[in-house]
Amino acid sequence: MNNGVAIYLGLFASMAVSWVAFVLGPQAQMGNLQPATTVAALPAVYPTAAPGLARQGAEVYRAHGCVYCHTQQVRPKELGADLARGWGIRRSVAHDYIYDQTVMLGEQRTGPDLANAGLRMDATAVLARLWDARIFEPKSLMPPYKYLFDVRKIGRKPSPGALVVQPPFGAPQGYEIVPRPAARALAAYVASLRQEPYLFEAPPPPGSVSTNAPAGETNAPGGTNAPGGTNAPGGTNAPGGTNAPGGTNAPGGTNGEL
Amino acid sequence: MSVIEAPAQSAASPQVSRTELEASGAVPLLCLFAGAAVWLLLGSLLALLDSLKLHSPGFLSSWPMLTYGRVHAAADTALLYGFGVPSALGVGLWLLCRLGRTRLTGPVVATMGALGWNAAVAAGFWAILRGAGTGYEVFEMPGAVAPLLLLSYVLIGICGVMTFHQRQAGPLYPSQWFVIGALFWFAWIFSTAALMLLGSPVRGVLQASVNWWYEHNLDTVFFGFAGLAPVFYFIPKLSGRPLHSSYQAALAFWMLALAGSWGGIPGGAPLPGWLAAVSLVGTVLTVIPIAAVAVNLYLTAGGALPALEAGPCQRFTGAGLIFWVIAGAQQVAGALPPVGALTDFTWFTTAQRDLFRFGFAAMTMLGAIYYIVPRLADAKSSAPDALWKGSLTKLHFWLMLAGVLTGYIALLVAGVWQGVEFQNPANSFAAVMKGAMMALRMSTMEPLLLTLGTIAFLLNFALLMKTCCARCLRERAGGRGMGKGGA
Repeated sequence: MNNGVAIYLGLFASMAVSWVAFVLGPQAQMGNLQPATTVAALPAVYPTAAPGLARQGAEVYRAHGCVYCHTQQVRPKELGADLARGWGIRRSVAHDYIYDQTVMLGEQRTGPDLANAGLRMDATAVLARLWDARIFEPKSLMPPYKYLFDVRKIGRKPSPGALVVQPPFGAPQGYEIVPRPAARALAAYVASLRQEPYLFEAPPPPGSVSTNAPAGETNAPGGTNAPGGTNAPGGTNAPGGTNAPGGTNAPGGTNGEL
Repeated sequence: MSVIEAPAQSAASPQVSRTELEASGAVPLLCLFAGAAVWLLLGSLLALLDSLKLHSPGFLSSWPMLTYGRVHAAADTALLYGFGVPSALGVGLWLLCRLGRTRLTGPVVATMGALGWNAAVAAGFWAILRGAGTGYEVFEMPGAVAPLLLLSYVLIGICGVMTFHQRQAGPLYPSQWFVIGALFWFAWIFSTAALMLLGSPVRGVLQASVNWWYEHNLDTVFFGFAGLAPVFYFIPKLSGRPLHSSYQAALAFWMLALAGSWGGIPGGAPLPGWLAAVSLVGTVLTVIPIAAVAVNLYLTAGGALPALEAGPCQRFTGAGLIFWVIAGAQQVAGALPPVGALTDFTWFTTAQRDLFRFGFAAMTMLGAIYYIVPRLADAKSSAPDALWKGSLTKLHFWLMLAGVLTGYIALLVAGVWQGVEFQNPANSFAAVMKGAMMALRMSTMEPLLLTLGTIAFLLNFALLMKTCCARCLRERAGGRGMGKGGA
């Protein structure tokens, strides 16, 4: 190996092989992946683009580096206990992400997976966790994001959309906690995360009910609180956005995992 | 870039004296190393802050700039792009000069590149703290600085390739392959990632696969090559024995280029199954280069482990090589599906990554820097190694070794625990994390000791430069000879 040209050519060939296999190949296969039809009694198109507020929230999620603690990918049954933990009803597949800009699958779970956070929490519950995650889990490692909220004196009547938090964690007497727009957007985004409908490449488990029943009946893993009125059949999501004004922190909505 | 073999007889005189050779690159290389040292301190400090925030979530939580995720991304950026890439480039350029027995081509261009690179990293670093990070791990610097980064890199890289072409005739030494490989690899992967993630982003999960491919290639191939180059140079040189086998070195080089560049896709990722399978095959095949390098250098060193009482270069390089072998073996183990099912997304992977980055890449770079810097700063010195304060180099080495080892063991234990406990869905997430808490607290020792070690290193560096500058000025004042270097 004393010939510079041979080294250049060899390096170029090795790089090209890797590039074709890992960059060009997947791009050729899935670079133009289109929404698919769900496997259900009433097939629907999946996914649909997220609502505007949730899209803004994705930017907040990115800017705060949430990805360093939370993954957004549910592994198949044979690789890890993600499904057994109730982090989803099926594995994650490429279709789940086609409308995401900045796909943040994550590499580390210091907090729970959020691929299906919207199936476990509504936006109000997310806001409460942003304020202080120890409301729900005393040992939580999640930092409080209090700078995403305004704490201010209650006026003649409480502001609509103020967060109601139980005493040890709440604001002082006479004050209220009002989420800032960034917090609302982030909460809408997290509550919009749901990889719900069964697809051809992620079919319902054999012998399960879902093909003849409306998908809405089976979409809440592990008895979580499906937030009111959002379990549309076929899983076409209408999530987020509903910032339950004056919302309480969804009592009983803590399913232990978050 | 032209691939035409330059004739060996270049404009340079056939016999370049070593003094002249060292002095030719003094300004750009000292710029690269000094910048790298400052970034290393900044990165270690942020890593320390990040680690503290992990077990005291409320600590400094009221500033958006210091939130965990941003600090994490900024620390990665400072360490990989502030310290890692410039020091790899500096060491690489020096090796190309030394082994090609030629002067550095275009020192002014290389200096401009070094300054441009540091300015771009500083801008990217600040943008991340302000919330403008891209969200792609280890590729967090925003698109606006990517062109400047690439341009600065190319300026330095061209000087490297030109220097390589100016080399004197003779067989190539393995370190030269590794440096050239690293120079090309980074340009290729960085421009691919910049185009496909920031320029015109690919659709959906392809972003994740490009991101993983980039991260894997940056670590395994770029830093692998860049770190092995000085290892292959210094271990034979300092143990006073010839390299055992250059065929084994060639095998390692090509296998690392071919197989090392395939990987990084976790088993259960929402990507086509073949991609994870190819990634697994590539990662498993890196066993070959790991074994080839380990056996080759073990036999070169005469069957002795690197002597820890030897000079700083030998210590750091030897330790770095051992950590490379361990980190590589762990990477292979973690890629196997039954293991990966447990350990993916846990501290296990973090332990491996930190061992690779701090234990291998940083230690081999620092070892080389300890050898190179005094020779650049005072090319005429008869005892260049004595320019360092021995007590500070020792302190740096032991602090760093202790830090890397404690952090590695702690994170490994935490990762395995986390992986095993997660398998049982009855264990709540928070309970598992709580169980790993003790180990996580221990792992804070790593950034703490690295920070202290880096302070010793920076102090040593500053003292050395002060001595050399003072001597240089004295010589000028005495009217004897011309002072070299302007640092």
